[in-house]
Parts: sequence; C-alpha cells; structure tokens
Amino acid sequence: MSEKLSATAKVYRRRGLFMVLLAAVMLEATTLTQFFFARRDLKNEAELRAKNELMVSSLKIESIMENVETATKNMAWVMTEHLDDTDELYDFFHQLLFTNPDIADVAMAFSPSYYPQMGYWFEPSSSRSEGGEIVDEEIGSEQHDYLSMPWFKKVFDSGIGSWSEPYFDNSGGKSMVVTYAEPVYDLDGKMAAVLGTDVSLSFLSSLVENVRLYPNSFSKITSREGRLLAASPDSVVSGKALRQEAEMSDTGWTMSIVIPQDEVFESINRLGHRVILLQILGLLLLWFILSRTIKEQAKLRQVEASKEKIESELKIASEIQMSMLPKIFPPFPERTDLDLAAAMYPAKEVGGDLYDFFIKEERLFFCIGDVSGKGVPASLLMAVTRSLFRTVSAHEKSPQRIVSAINDSMTGTNENNMFVTFFCGVLDLRTGHLRYCNAGHNAPFILKGTVGALPVEPNLPIGVMPGMNFKEQETDLSFDDSIFLYTDGLTEAEDADHRLFGEERVKDLLSIRRTAEEHLEALETAMTKFVGTAPQSDDLTMLFIHYMNKIDPEESERHLILHNDIQQIPQLADFVETIADEMKIEQSLAMGINLALEEAVTNVIMYAYPKGSDGLVDIEAIMRKKSLEFIITDSGIPFDPTQVPVADTTLGVEERPVGGLGIFLVRNIMDTVNYRRSDDGKNILSMTKNI
Amino acid sequence: MLVSITKKNQEVTAKLNGRLDTPAAQNVAEQLEPLKEDAAGTIILDCKELSYISSSGLRIFLSLRKAAAEKGGKVIVRSINNEIRSVFQMTGFLNLFQIED
Repeated sequence: MSEKLSATAKVYRRRGLFMVLLAAVMLEATTLTQFFFARRDLKNEAELRAKNELMVSSLKIESIMENVETATKNMAWVMTEHLDDTDELYDFFHQLLFTNPDIADVAMAFSPSYYPQMGYWFEPSSSRSEGGEIVDEEIGSEQHDYLSMPWFKKVFDSGIGSWSEPYFDNSGGKSMVVTYAEPVYDLDGKMAAVLGTDVSLSFLSSLVENVRLYPNSFSKITSREGRLLAASPDSVVSGKALRQEAEMSDTGWTMSIVIPQDEVFESINRLGHRVILLQILGLLLLWFILSRTIKEQAKLRQVEASKEKIESELKIASEIQMSMLPKIFPPFPERTDLDLAAAMYPAKEVGGDLYDFFIKEERLFFCIGDVSGKGVPASLLMAVTRSLFRTVSAHEKSPQRIVSAINDSMTGTNENNMFVTFFCGVLDLRTGHLRYCNAGHNAPFILKGTVGALPVEPNLPIGVMPGMNFKEQETDLSFDDSIFLYTDGLTEAEDADHRLFGEERVKDLLSIRRTAEEHLEALETAMTKFVGTAPQSDDLTMLFIHYMNKIDPEESERHLILHNDIQQIPQLADFVETIADEMKIEQSLAMGINLALEEAVTNVIMYAYPKGSDGLVDIEAIMRKKSLEFIITDSGIPFDPTQVPVADTTLGVEERPVGGLGIFLVRNIMDTVNYRRSDDGKNILSMTKNI
Repeated sequence: MLVSITKKNQEVTAKLNGRLDTPAAQNVAEQLEPLKEDAAGTIILDCKELSYISSSGLRIFLSLRKAAAEKGGKVIVRSINNEIRSVFQMTGFLNLFQIED
C-alpha cells in the first residue's frame, strides 16, 4: 500500500513540477514581452528627448547666428551711404556692438588702396576688451594682410556674404570665433570693402554643457568640415549608445547627442531584476504549495479508493442479501387466491429497506421494514432483520410474537442504537383473517372497494427497547380486498422544489383497478415522473397483496349422492355426461371415465354396507383446467380397493376368474387412485384423470 | 337394454342394444343364460348397437366363452365400437374372443 502510495505520489509530484514549469514559461513569456515593449518605449522616449533638445539648441544657435548675420547685412547696406567719412565708421561699429552683444568684434576690410590716403591696407575695427570697453583700432597692415585671409577672399571674389569656418582668432578676442562677412558696395555699385563680424563660440560650450539628458550622456557640435566646436566634458561612452544628430542649415554645423544605452534602460533593467527575483520566489512558493496539495490529494485518493472498495464490497454483500428476498413474480403462480407483487428501488447509497413473504400452511407471512439511517450499518441491520424474520416466523404464527422476538434479539446486540420500522402480517388464506403487528412503520393502505389506511397501533420501532410490548391487531379480508405496504421512500419522494409525492397521490393511483404488478409499475412511474431530475434520496419498497376468491374460476365442483342401490347406477352416466360436456371431454374418454366411476361406485354399493341396510355414497367431482377428480365417500366398512390384487389378464379362458375386473378397470383408466380412511370412519377414495 | 336372440342351425345370434351397465347386466345375464345350451355350436354376440359395457357385462361375455370352451363351441363378438374395443384391449378380452367387424 505505502509503495503504491509513494509511486502515485511520485507521479503527482512530477505532474506538479510540470505545472510549475508551465507557469514559469508563461510568466517569463509575458514578462519578456512586456520588457521588450517597455525597452522600445524607453528608447523611443530617449530619442524623442534628444531630438527635442537638439531642436531647441539648434534654434538657439541659429537665432544668434541669424541676428548677427542680419545686423551685419543691414550695416553693410547702410555703409554704402557712409563711405565718404572714415571717421564715422567707428560710430557705426560702436552702434553695432552695442546692440548685438553676441558680436565680439567688427572689422571692415577695404579693397586695396580704396582710400589712397590710408594706404594699401585699410581695416578699421572695433572690439570688446576684457573689461568690456570697446577698443578701436586700424589693423590693416602688411603683417595683417587680410587680403589673403579666407573670409575676405571668399566674399571679395564671389560678392556674396557668407559664414567662415570657425578659426582661432589671435588678433581679437583670442578665442574660437566664426566670422560673418558681407560685401559693402559704394554708390557706384563697386565693391568697396568686406564687413566682417566675429562671434565668439564660447557660448556654444556653455550651451553644450547644459544639455545633459542622462547622467552620462553628452553632446557636441562640429563644423561642416568636422572640426569640434564644443563638447561636454567626459564625452566618452563605453558600450552601446544611442546617437541623435541635427544639422543647422545656415552654418552647416552638426549637433549631436550621445546617450549610453545602459542609462536609457537602467530603470527597466533594475525593475526586471526585481521582477525576476519575485517570480522565482513565487514559483518556488507555488511548487511548494502544489507538492503539498498533491501529496495530500494522493493520500486522500488512497483513502477514497479504499473507502470505495469497502463500499463496493458491502454493496455486493447487500445485493447478495437483496437477492435472497423473493424476487420472482408472480411468486405463487399455482395459487389462484393470491396476486402479490413486491418491488424495491434502492437509492444510490446502500440502504436499509426490506420486505419478505412466504406461504406456510396456507398462511401468507409478509413484512416490510425501513432501517433508520443509510449506508453500510443500515444495510447490515436490514440483513439481520430479514434473517430474524425468517427464523422466527418458521415457528411462530403470531405477528406480535414475531415482532417481539425480533425486537428482543436485536436490542440485545444493537450497540449503534439503530432501529427498524417494521410491519408484519399473517394472512390466513383459507379465511381471509389477517393478523398484523406494526412497529413504528407507516400504516399500509387497505383496499376494500375504497382506499383507506389500515388502522395501526403506532408502537415503537424494533430495536429501541428490549421487552417492548407490541400490540397485535386483526381484521378480515374479503375476496378481492387488497393491502398495500410501502416505505416512506414513496410518499416522501421530493421533486426539485422539495414538494412531497404524498399519500393523496398514492391513494388516487391505488383506486384504479389493476393487478398487483401493474399497481407497482404505475406507482413507480408516477413517482419517477413527479420527482423529475431530483435525485432519489431514499430507498423505495412496495408490497401489494391482492386477496382473491380462493376457488379457481376455472375450477368447479359437481356433487352426486346415491343410495346403496344398484339401480341408481345409470345416474352416473348422466353425471359424467354433464361434466364431459362442461369440460369438453371427448366421447371415448368420457366413456372410460364413466366406466371407472361406475366400477368404483358399484364396488361401494355392493360391498360397503351390510345387505338390506341403507347407506349413502357421496360423489364429488372437481373439474380443473387439466384434470378431473372424483372423491367417493361412504360410511361403510373399511375397504381399500387399491389393495385388491391385480387381475391377470394374460390367463386363458379356463383359468380366468370371472370377477375382479372392476377395480382393475378403475386403476387402468384413472391416472391416480388413492384411498384413505378418515378419522370419522369414512372411506374416501379419490381418483383423478388428467385431461 | 334390449336383447334379441335368433337361432339358425348351429348358430345363435344375440343382438345387444343399448348400455350394458351393472343394473342391466342382471337382466341380460338371465336372457343369455339359455345360450349356454348352444355352446357347442357358434354363439355370435352382435354388438353393433351396444354403446357401453361395464365389468358386469364383461363377466357375462366371459361366462359364455367359458361354456363354449367347455363344449367345444366358439363365441364371435361382432361389430364392437372403439370404446368397447379399448376396454377389451385393456382386459385381455381381445385374445379370448374371436372379434369380427
């Protein structure tokens, strides 16, 4: 048993493990999916943030650069009118620097020898000093040959204003600068000079430093030619990184933001770790609970299985017991005075209903009972009750004594305080006299034209109290009366709404004329229909007894009484003829019967009574379906014709005695011939012919 | 029960008509008793109209047969019906008498 248990437990444990693994796989799949989407969203968000930042920064840079460009262009345009007075130039320069704080310095490089008085190079300029004051200076010289400088040359040659590549300015602010150069034309439309404004790129550094989306992200700005203009400090990324770039149209600069991927995903990674840890803990807990449950279930199943086994064995026992109850119907096919049927419909559980009946010495003993409770103890008690009924009634004719005897022997051993409601009856089939004793069972119905309850003493059920004084009752049944016994499984059958089948329905059904078996079928059908889908809660047992005229309708009698006068013999011929007509016996057989009867009666007339005395011969003919019996009774001297020696019919003429043929014929013609001398001094000869 | 007897040379014929039961047998026995005189010849018992016979009747037949046996004559039983034939069968009379249709 324990080996088997451990084996099944192993199977269940494996099943539990499988379930945990399945749960793990499902859990991980959903987690990973979530993780994947969360990462994607985080990445998108980071990129969006970077783009926004780039856009904002670009706009800032571009607006500065555009302001400078516009201011320079305006001034170049204004300067056309003011080329006459070189002294005025510085005023304009001051104005420009004053209104445009982004411009670090301004210079106007004239074409060679534009003002002959100023020499070959002439480049007045104004720049901001470290103290914030504006310093004017003419810087054009052979040493400072602006004519060869790219910002000048490019504009001078093309006549179109443009931004220079950033460069390190040694002359002015001593920092990284970028110059916007715009041609200045004179009134004749001839290019007079190139106006250049320098913008210090130090603002880019502070701008770049402020762009910090993630702790270790960084940004930088590069020129069109790839020169680094500004970058965050620590601009090194190890591992994968997200990169976003934006190019500014005017300057052709590119700003880029680089974010280390680890930082983008840091929160989700941290969350992921926690989730996985929690899941593992959860799964372990699940496995623990499952294996505990499974183990308990296995144990439970084991218990259940052994319980089922016990129950099925007991059910078999109860079925064996049940099978001992009379179950063949009609139980007494040869009896014409009794129509009896019994039926038991056990509920699913082993139950404790019982019934029994048998005939002994022309008395029908019957009983019905219902053991309290259900299950095994009930069915055992039912078996005990039934066998006690059989045992006790073998030598008791009184129902009261039968019930008392069962009660006494049961209360002696009944330790479970169970009891049996029991009804026992003894019906004398010859007289219809019914004696009965009720031990707490519901009153049977009695059918005497109308249906009513048989009056019963309630009494206590069997098994409650030893030495209990049960009361016996009696009644007389007439021919065609019936009695119907049942257990409360019938009247207390419930439908789905807990309504009871009730006694009225039973009464109505019983009032219809049916055979015993038909009655039980009708009741069962009606009850099943009434109950519907509700489960049968109790055993149902029914016993229907229909007491009928004991004379077979197919059996009848004829009587003939003769004096001991041989001249009365011809009356026998008429007697037999009447019977033969009635029984439709053919002529030749009738004649044989006539002969046998004549011989037997002649015998009585001739020899039973002393000569001259008057005596009677009583002839009774009993006509049955398949036989004809004659009972010849006389009060003469004892004489047993069956003891007369058999005539030897093989002898020859000389040896044959003339007499002795009469009895010989009787014995040859009839199938059985019996003689008995009755206690009151009568010769009774019975002879039967099978038809 | 009617009995008519006719004699013709050595042949006596007794016609039996009706039921030969016990009460009738006494009378019939008396009527047939003279036939024993002719037992040396042939006695014919014509049973064409005999419907029934009891053991008393059989007894008469047998005593005639015994007389014939004594005197060297014979008894012919003629035209018995099936019922009587089965009684003859039962009692072994078929072997004792000459039966004619």
